[in-house]
Amino acid sequence: MPSSISSFEALPDAVRATAADRPGEAQPVPVRPVPPRPWRGIAATAVLLAVIAIAGWEWQMRRVGLRAGDYGIEPSGWAAARRQIDMGDLPVAIVGDSRILFDTDLDRFQQLTGVRPLQLALPGSNARPFLEDVANDPHFHGLLIVGLADMSYFRDGIGNGERALDRSHSEMPSQRTGYLLSRVLERNFAFIDPAYRLSTLVYTTDRGQRRGGASWYYRPWKLIQVDERGQASLWSKIETDSHLRAQARQAWLDMPGRPPRPPVDAKTIESTLAKTQAAVARIRARGGDVVFVRPPSSGPLRVREEQRIPRRLGWDALLARAQAVGIHVDDHPQLQGLDIPEWSHLSQRCASVYTDAYVRLLAAATSRVAIRADAPGPLTPRDCVTKSPGHTAADAGSLSGQ
Amino acid sequence: MVFNSLTFAVFFVLVLAMHSLPLGWTTKKVNLLLASYLFYAAWNPPFIILLWISTVVDWYAAQGLVHAQRPLARKAWMLLSVVVNLGMLAWFKYGEFALDNFAALMHSLGVAYQPPKSDIVLPVGISFYTFATLSYTLDVYLRRAMPARNFLDYALFVTFFPHLVAGPIMRPTELVPQFEQPRRASGDAIRFGLALMTLGLFMKVVLADGFLAPPAEGVFDAKTAPGALDAWIGTLAFSGQIFCDFAGYSTTAIGAAMCLGFAMPDNFRFPYAAIGFSDFWRRWHITLSSWLRDYLYIPLGGNRHGPARTYIALMLTMLLGGLWHGANWTFVAWGGLHGLYLAGERMLRSRFGHWRPGPLTFFGLGLLTYALINVTWVFFRSKTFEGAFTMLRGMAGATPHPMPLLSACELVAVALIMTSIVAVHWRMRDTTLEAVVARIPAPAIAVGWAAMAFAVVVEQGEGNAFIYFQF
Repeated sequence: MPSSISSFEALPDAVRATAADRPGEAQPVPVRPVPPRPWRGIAATAVLLAVIAIAGWEWQMRRVGLRAGDYGIEPSGWAAARRQIDMGDLPVAIVGDSRILFDTDLDRFQQLTGVRPLQLALPGSNARPFLEDVANDPHFHGLLIVGLADMSYFRDGIGNGERALDRSHSEMPSQRTGYLLSRVLERNFAFIDPAYRLSTLVYTTDRGQRRGGASWYYRPWKLIQVDERGQASLWSKIETDSHLRAQARQAWLDMPGRPPRPPVDAKTIESTLAKTQAAVARIRARGGDVVFVRPPSSGPLRVREEQRIPRRLGWDALLARAQAVGIHVDDHPQLQGLDIPEWSHLSQRCASVYTDAYVRLLAAATSRVAIRADAPGPLTPRDCVTKSPGHTAADAGSLSGQ
Repeated sequence: MVFNSLTFAVFFVLVLAMHSLPLGWTTKKVNLLLASYLFYAAWNPPFIILLWISTVVDWYAAQGLVHAQRPLARKAWMLLSVVVNLGMLAWFKYGEFALDNFAALMHSLGVAYQPPKSDIVLPVGISFYTFATLSYTLDVYLRRAMPARNFLDYALFVTFFPHLVAGPIMRPTELVPQFEQPRRASGDAIRFGLALMTLGLFMKVVLADGFLAPPAEGVFDAKTAPGALDAWIGTLAFSGQIFCDFAGYSTTAIGAAMCLGFAMPDNFRFPYAAIGFSDFWRRWHITLSSWLRDYLYIPLGGNRHGPARTYIALMLTMLLGGLWHGANWTFVAWGGLHGLYLAGERMLRSRFGHWRPGPLTFFGLGLLTYALINVTWVFFRSKTFEGAFTMLRGMAGATPHPMPLLSACELVAVALIMTSIVAVHWRMRDTTLEAVVARIPAPAIAVGWAAMAFAVVVEQGEGNAFIYFQF
C-alpha cells in the first residue's frame, strides 16, 4: 500500500493514474473517458438481443412447467403475515416446516371452521424457534398449531426460516418495496423462481460424480408452488414427472458416500423438550393454547426419521412434557393412505383430504376450533386423486403403511 | 437500498428522469441530495441523523479551520472533526468489540465482569462516509484544499448516493468541483454508464452471489475440516467472490455517476495480476489504501525517519486498515499479514533492488503473489482463528482423512471462473477497460452487453447486501 515501495515497473502509459500514484496530494477531479464506439447502435442492439433472450427464456420456463402467478415465500411476505399477530386477536395460527405448510388446505380449514388460520410455516425451517417467537409475543392469545417434522424439530438451528424471523423483527423500507415489486414480476413472469436461477440450474446438473461431495442433485430443489392468497402446496410437476420425483426423494436421504447421520443426541432432545415446554407454558399463561400436529411421511424417509428420533423419545416425550394435545398420523386411520409422491409432502388434492381429517380431530380435541353446522361432509382418501402412477400404495403415509 | 435490487432499479430510473428535466443546476443538486437521503433512508431512516451530524460538524470544522489564526486553534478544529467522526465510528462499530475484549481481559486477571448486552446496530456505510468527510477537514487542515464554497455542494459530496455506502471513498477535491458547474451526461456517456452498471451487476449478481458464494460457504461454513482440494477451491471461490462483489459495486457506482454526468475514480485495477504486495495495494480498493497512506501512514512518519520507523508505520497502518474492515481480531490478523508481506517485500527490494525478473519469473511472481493473497483471505473470511487455522491446515494438505465437501460441478465452475478472472487481470494489467472496449468490434460489445444483462435477469438474485456494506 504505502507509496514508498515502488513496483517492478513504472506506470504504463495506457494506465490511468489513480490516487495510488499521487501520494500526499490533493486528488484531482477524475477523468472518465467514454470509448469512441457507436454507442447508440450498440445499446439498441443489446436491448433488442436481451429482450429476445429473456422472452425465449420465459417461453422455455413455461414449457418446463413453471407458471406466472406462482409466488415464492419471501422473508418480507412472511414478515407481513407475522405482523397480523400484532394487530389483534388472532384465533388460529400455524407454525412449522414445509409439511404442515403444504399439507394444510387453508380454504378447507375455513370451510369447516369459519376461521382462516394465519399460515406462518416455512419450508426447511425448525418449528420450535417460531413457537418461541409467538410465545414471546404478548399479542397472541389464540390457538397455535405447531406442525412438526421430527428431524426438523429436534435440532438446534432455525434452518431456512432465520431470514424471515429476522425480517419480522427489523425490516428495511427498501426490503418492503422490493417485495411489493417482486410480487408484480412474479404475477407476470414464470421464470422468476429461485429454483430456476442460472447458477442453480448449472449446479443442479451435477449427478454426484464426486462421491461424498455435497452434490446439488441431493438437495431439495423446487417443491413448492404458492398461489396469490398464500396457499402453498407441493409443486404439481412432482406428481407427474418421475425424474423430478426421484430427485426430490433423494434429497431426504443420506448423501451417497457420506456416513449416515447419527441419531439425535440426548442433549438436543432434552433442550428441545425444555424449550417447548417453556414456550407452551408462556402461551397458556396468556390464555392461548398449543396443539402439535405430525403430518404424514413415508417410504425410506419415514424409516430414517424413526431411526434418528424414535417416536417414543421425540413426539411422545414432547406431548408428555408440554402436556399438550397432539395429532399424529400413526394414531388416526383417517389420516393415512394418502398420496405422498416424494415421501415427505402430500399431493395437492390429498392435502385437502388430510386437512379435512385433522381439522375434525382438532375440533374434537380442543374447544378453540369448532366445525360449523353448515360445514361440508368429510373427505376420504377416495377424494384424493392420484396423478402419479406406481407409487400410491407403497407411499401411503403412515409407519404402518410401509 | 442495494444496487442489485428492484427498488434501486425504480429509484435510479426516477432519479435519471428528474436529472434530465430542464431545471436549474441548484434545483438539480437539491434533487440529487434528497434522492441520496432517500437512498440511505431506505435502510434505516433514523441513521440519517448520523449522516447529518457528520456533515454539519465537518462543515463547521472546515470553516473554523479557515478562519482560525493560531495553529492551536486550527488543531482544535481538526481534532473536533476527528473525534466526532471516529467517536461515532468507534461507538457503533467497535463498542461491543471493546467491551467483549475488556471482559476477556478481566476474566484472564481473575475478575468476573459481564458486559451489558448490546443491541447496537451498525449503520450502513458509516466507515465509508466517515472517511470521506474526514478527508474534507484533513485536506483543509493540511492546506491541500480550500473548503467548499457552499453547504449544498459539500452536503452533496458527503451524501452523493453512488459512493455513499461502499465507496469509492472520494476526496472533496475530486467531487466538490464537479458540483460547482452544471454538468450533463452526453447520450454516449449515459449508454456507456449503463453498460458499466450492467458489468458491475453481472459481477455481483451472477459471479459473486450466484456462482462463487455457494462453494465458498460450502467450505468455510462446513462442520468438517476440508482437504487440500476443497480448501483451495473454497478459498479461490472467496477470492473471486470478494473481488466480484466489491469491484462489481464500484463499477456499478462509477456507471451510475457517469449516467448523471459525474466522474468517479477507479477503485480497482485488475488486482489479481499484481506482482508483489505494494503492487497489489495499488490495485485493490485503491481509494481506501491511498486514504490510509495519505492520512495515516505518512503522518505516522512514512519512510522519512529510517527503516525502523518505516516498518512500524507500515504495520500500524495495515493493522488499523484490517480493523477498519470489521470488529474482529481475524481482520486485524488479515491486515497484519499484509503488513508482514509488505515489510518482507520492502526488505527484499532493499537487498535485490537492481534485479529484474524475466517473463517467466515475472509470471511466477504474479502467481505467488496471488497464492499468498489467498492465504490472507482465509483470515478475512473465517469468523474465528480456529476456523482460519483449520482452513490453512486443509490448504497445506494436513487434514487427516478429509471428507469431500464440494461437488464436481462446483470444483469445475470455480476453477473455470477463477482462471478466467486471473487471465483477464493479466491481459488487462497494463491497460484500462475503456482502452480495450475502444478496440472491440461494436457487434461483439452489443452481444456481450446483452449476454450480461440476460444473465443478470435470469440469475434473478436475492438482493443480497454487498459484502463491504458491513464494513
